[in-house]
Amino acid sequence: MEKLKAFFGYAMAVLAFPLIVVMIMAGVTGLGDVFVEATGLQTAAKFTGGEVVRTVGHGAYETRVHRMVFDALFWERSEGFIQVAWAPLDALPARIDEEIDADGDGQADFRVEVDTANKESTLTPYASWVLDLEGTYRLNDTLAVRVRLRNPSR
Amino acid sequence: MTTETQPSDQAKVQSPRMAVWKALLLCLPILLLSALIPLLSLQSGDPLMIISGLAVWILVNVFFVLMLITGKTHRYRSVLFIMIAIALPLDFIPWMFETYGSMLLTDETIYSGGASFCPLTMPMVIVPALVKRVVIFPGTLVGTGTHGIFSMMALLWLGVSLSIGRGWCSWGCFYGGWDEFFSRLRKKPLIKHKQIDRRWIYLPFGILLAIVLISALTYEPVYCAWLCPFKLVTEFQAPATTLAIIQIAIFILLFIGLVIVLPLLTRRRIQCGLFCPFGAMQSFFNKINIFGVRIDPEKCSRCEKCIRECPTFSLNEASLDSGKPLMTCTRCAHCIDNCPQGAITYRIKGTSLKASPTVARVLYLYPAYFLMAFIGGATIMNGLQRLLMLITTGSMLH
Repeated sequence: MEKLKAFFGYAMAVLAFPLIVVMIMAGVTGLGDVFVEATGLQTAAKFTGGEVVRTVGHGAYETRVHRMVFDALFWERSEGFIQVAWAPLDALPARIDEEIDADGDGQADFRVEVDTANKESTLTPYASWVLDLEGTYRLNDTLAVRVRLRNPSR
Repeated sequence: MTTETQPSDQAKVQSPRMAVWKALLLCLPILLLSALIPLLSLQSGDPLMIISGLAVWILVNVFFVLMLITGKTHRYRSVLFIMIAIALPLDFIPWMFETYGSMLLTDETIYSGGASFCPLTMPMVIVPALVKRVVIFPGTLVGTGTHGIFSMMALLWLGVSLSIGRGWCSWGCFYGGWDEFFSRLRKKPLIKHKQIDRRWIYLPFGILLAIVLISALTYEPVYCAWLCPFKLVTEFQAPATTLAIIQIAIFILLFIGLVIVLPLLTRRRIQCGLFCPFGAMQSFFNKINIFGVRIDPEKCSRCEKCIRECPTFSLNEASLDSGKPLMTCTRCAHCIDNCPQGAITYRIKGTSLKASPTVARVLYLYPAYFLMAFIGGATIMNGLQRLLMLITTGSMLH
């Protein structure tokens, strides 16, 4: 038994070196991407804005309405936000004035006006659960606003 | 009667020429694998990067040969460890300026996924990742970039944790060298070990539990946002709101207190030993890890030098009785190198007490030193290249 334990001990100790080499090399060469894709991991919607659920075309540019984000570990939060983005940046007009259907019921829930050059926005809520404007941001190739919401299902 | 000898003792009984040849032979795996550093630098085509890559390759291999010849581990590990910590901001901060125009993280950077994934985030990420398959960090999940891609960091962390457990904290951590540097500046501590309440060693586990729960509840990496002292040497939230200003004030105070002042006063790695929740999490990997440190009760004279000097408070009187350090041991080898009786050695769990400590040491050094030489070496290479740029062009930016 002692000899068996020692054998496994040495075997594990010897294997520790190739293990760390393989894991580091896998990470450095991008094989970790396979691991991430296999596990289905995604960055939290709190940071990405969540998935785009509707796209509205305006010729040269388009409006991307993301899903409402109330994400939490086991339940939905009472407050969250929705991200609306316009892209591509170089095709945006000087001023955007658009009514947005946040919950997908076919009715506009708020109106947002954006000065695209200065990143200044104003919000006009239509629904009682639309709270206020969190901010206007230039994110990669889009101009986006985040609007704070109260969870309509709670 | 024991057949065990200290690594340093073994080196002494061999002829010098024999010891050098043996060390060179044992160095071959590290020599070959770390050659990837200069090879990667060749790919860049930048002469300064090539010079840096070659210099680092030579440095890490000379240090490894010296470790093997002299039988001393901590001395050479510590120098490289400190170099890694200093090199990281030398490269990272200029990279932030090149990429985002400053080392400040604005909302736009965060919402664009521009934050660099840091291994210290791992304890907070695990629960939401397992439950909801969501990574609660505003960084890039996939890709082969050089600065903090999640997929790379996750594999690195997993590989290191399984191979060397909390050895990460003394062989791989990008930040621990700051702590170590300040803890080594004074020859004698102003605050003696007896004056430090031992119950503080439970604080990192409390912080770990708190940040795991709060992060899972808030879906935010709370340690990064509120408590990480090393924001000062990497990136931090722009002071756009009162909240952000408070956060900045906290991490500046923590850096000054935990990383500079207290290590100076105590000669201990206070941030690593008494605060870092990532280190606390890594302690659990020591339990499942095959390597360990052992104290030979027959050789131990109970002088308690190891207890007085352990940088991370991982030894106490009970350790001398049980013959092993606490689970928080980072395998830094400070006690191994400094035990006057040569009673402390690396060991492989499952092997007998008479097993060769030299074999255990070499088998531990391979994975630990490869981590340090490759990941740390690349960090030193990048930092050195920025320094050379500063000297030759007057700027650290490309």
